[in-house]
Amino acid sequence: MGRLGLAVRVLFNGDFARQVAELAAGSDSPARALPEPAVVAPVAVPAPPKPSRSDAVTLLATLQREARLLDFFKEGISEYTDAQIGAAVRDLHRQTNAVLERIFAVRPLLDAAEGSSVSVPANADASVYQLTGNVGSGSPGQGTLMHHGWKATQCDLPRWSGSADSSLVIAPAEVEV
Amino acid sequence: MSANYAIGIDLGTTNCVLAWTDLHVEQPEIHLLPIPQLVAAGTVEQRSSLPSFLYLGTEADASAGTWSLPWNQGSSFAVGEAARRQSAEIPQRTICAAKSWLCYSHVDRHGPILPWNTPDDVQKISPVEASRLYLQHLVSAWTERFPDAPICEQQVVLTVPASFDASARELTREAALAAGLPETLVLIEEPQAATYAWLDDQRDVWRKQLRAGHQLLVCDVGGGTTDLTLVDVTDDAGELQLQRRAVGNHLLVGGDNMDLALAFHVSELFRQQKQIELNPWQSVSLWHACRAAKEALLAEDGPETWPVAVPGRGSRLIGGTIAVDVNRQAVQDLLVNGFFGSCSLQDRPVRQRSSGFRELGLPFETDTLVTRHLAAFLSSHGDQQTTAQPTHVLFNGGVFKSAALRNQLLQQLSTWFQSPPIELCGERDLDYAVARGAAHYAWTKHNGGLRIRGGTARSYYIGVETAGLAIPGAPRPLHALCVVPHGMEEGTRADIAGGGIGLILGEPARFRFFSSAVRRDQPGTRLQSWTDDELQETDSLETELTQIDGLDEDYVPVRFESVISELGVLELWCVHTDSNARWKFEFSVRDDAQA
Repeated sequence: MGRLGLAVRVLFNGDFARQVAELAAGSDSPARALPEPAVVAPVAVPAPPKPSRSDAVTLLATLQREARLLDFFKEGISEYTDAQIGAAVRDLHRQTNAVLERIFAVRPLLDAAEGSSVSVPANADASVYQLTGNVGSGSPGQGTLMHHGWKATQCDLPRWSGSADSSLVIAPAEVEV
Repeated sequence: MSANYAIGIDLGTTNCVLAWTDLHVEQPEIHLLPIPQLVAAGTVEQRSSLPSFLYLGTEADASAGTWSLPWNQGSSFAVGEAARRQSAEIPQRTICAAKSWLCYSHVDRHGPILPWNTPDDVQKISPVEASRLYLQHLVSAWTERFPDAPICEQQVVLTVPASFDASARELTREAALAAGLPETLVLIEEPQAATYAWLDDQRDVWRKQLRAGHQLLVCDVGGGTTDLTLVDVTDDAGELQLQRRAVGNHLLVGGDNMDLALAFHVSELFRQQKQIELNPWQSVSLWHACRAAKEALLAEDGPETWPVAVPGRGSRLIGGTIAVDVNRQAVQDLLVNGFFGSCSLQDRPVRQRSSGFRELGLPFETDTLVTRHLAAFLSSHGDQQTTAQPTHVLFNGGVFKSAALRNQLLQQLSTWFQSPPIELCGERDLDYAVARGAAHYAWTKHNGGLRIRGGTARSYYIGVETAGLAIPGAPRPLHALCVVPHGMEEGTRADIAGGGIGLILGEPARFRFFSSAVRRDQPGTRLQSWTDDELQETDSLETELTQIDGLDEDYVPVRFESVISELGVLELWCVHTDSNARWKFEFSVRDDAQA
């Protein structure tokens, strides 16, 4: 069967597509049978370890793909005018924000306006309330909000299924043919 | 079968969306299904819509698992965001606008014709197959999220453009059933779905805004098409009812035309001011940058100019970026005047035939003025040949996310009518309204509630060649016999006397088939002449007339019977007047490429 024919059958034939999928997944199938039949007992082959990639790389890859964030930070900016940088950054800003919104749905941690008075619960978690200024040993009860903080209201990162060899690739090399 | 969910699916020209709600609740609470999809090679992300793009991968892609999905390992194709991204750089392997091809009767919609106009070494697929694959992706996403609630057991509603004729609806249903959607699938029209979304949003408050005698214009301008519908508000024994009065013709003009027009304008600026020819890759960035510029410049207190920047191809972002200033007046002229420019209610769309030879392809509108199409639509749908005067307008489609364009259209309507129509407002996200409205309707179908009545959007005719002496070289005069009246309700049938039509048994019978969005004929009416604007030819109908036992003659008189099923499916039967033997007609969508 020609390559084209195979593609046709994979596209249009559910059963065949399933067989191809099983092949790709490495399950037993006549087409997979080795030419050398002298195997005495079938040896259970352990499934290859599931490729994994750090979520940090996946996030970088997403920001590069959609907003070209790495291109921006890896480029020296000393030679450019503010106008040139501004022109490039306007889109980068919009795209980066879209990614952060989609993946993390980032919201202010406290709803109060900065500069307004907010109450601080007793024994507040320091990673939620960072106290500055005249910090005593007891609970301050009240304070002025200097920065409203940020929180991710979700964490919906893409799932990645590439090979172990490419787990550190952030952006592919692009080659026009 | 016990359905637990009401599901609404918007199979859009550029995006698909699935919305759902629990079926057994007092009030529907509609959610969007997150749709896992490839956004790049080997990278699956959930998005609330599925771009209607399909990328046909290479064999190497399939074996490397590049386009694998949780439910389709080793897939040879990608649907959704990744495919949309590929469409710019590898157009010859990317299918887009399959839906527009679905209702284009000049091509074989079961034939492998997409991607259109690409080299033969790319394995093409049919518009029906592409639609099936989009729907199948949604079905798989549903199954992954709700493994214990098979979609084939749920109450599912799928939307189609109001302007889709019977054969385009039939092809949509075929693709849907092949994708695993239930036989009980109901098709509703997108502008109606948008209306349900508004009703869902308003709950009972809508009765304060609309009353009997009001008329609602649903103006739906999506990415690829413009879809117009008029809905009457009537009073039935003290209860308000909604009755769909009319739908417009299928108009291939939409937001994509606008973005393309602006992108073309800006690329000309680059050529003139910077001597730069943009490459296809840059044109995608340009497209996105133009959309942002459009929003900024059309805003009421928008700036006079807005910089449009296009990044370079290589890794140098700032150094590679080129920018031009686009000015507000130019955008105003291009988009507002070019698509929503003022015209009189008597104006009609201008049809241009530049030459006798036209490349086969989608019949995009030559007149892009939506306002002229609207004038023509309103003029032909009033009472007793008068102009319809809508009292309210409901906007739908991504184009109307722009307040400037909504206002422009309202402004136009106010010059046409003494009492200008009022916009129906509400917190609706226009990208998702159709799917949400469809889910609302699916819930209503089970639990009861307000439904828009209206029956068939068009009337249908079969072509009958007249008898008489043949004139060499001239076709026999053609008459059109009305077999389905406009507004024929679901679950009803109509008998049509054949009036002397006879058919030969043992041979395939084939009829030309026409539809009309404007005529209001009774079944059995025979038209001897009509204009192109009144009747549009669609796929022909055919059936094999089997022999009847115990009948010697092979030329038999027939009558017709049309049926609209409870699910809104049109069936046309041919009945032998003497024996009542019947044959069902099917659309012959295969080789209808007309001469």
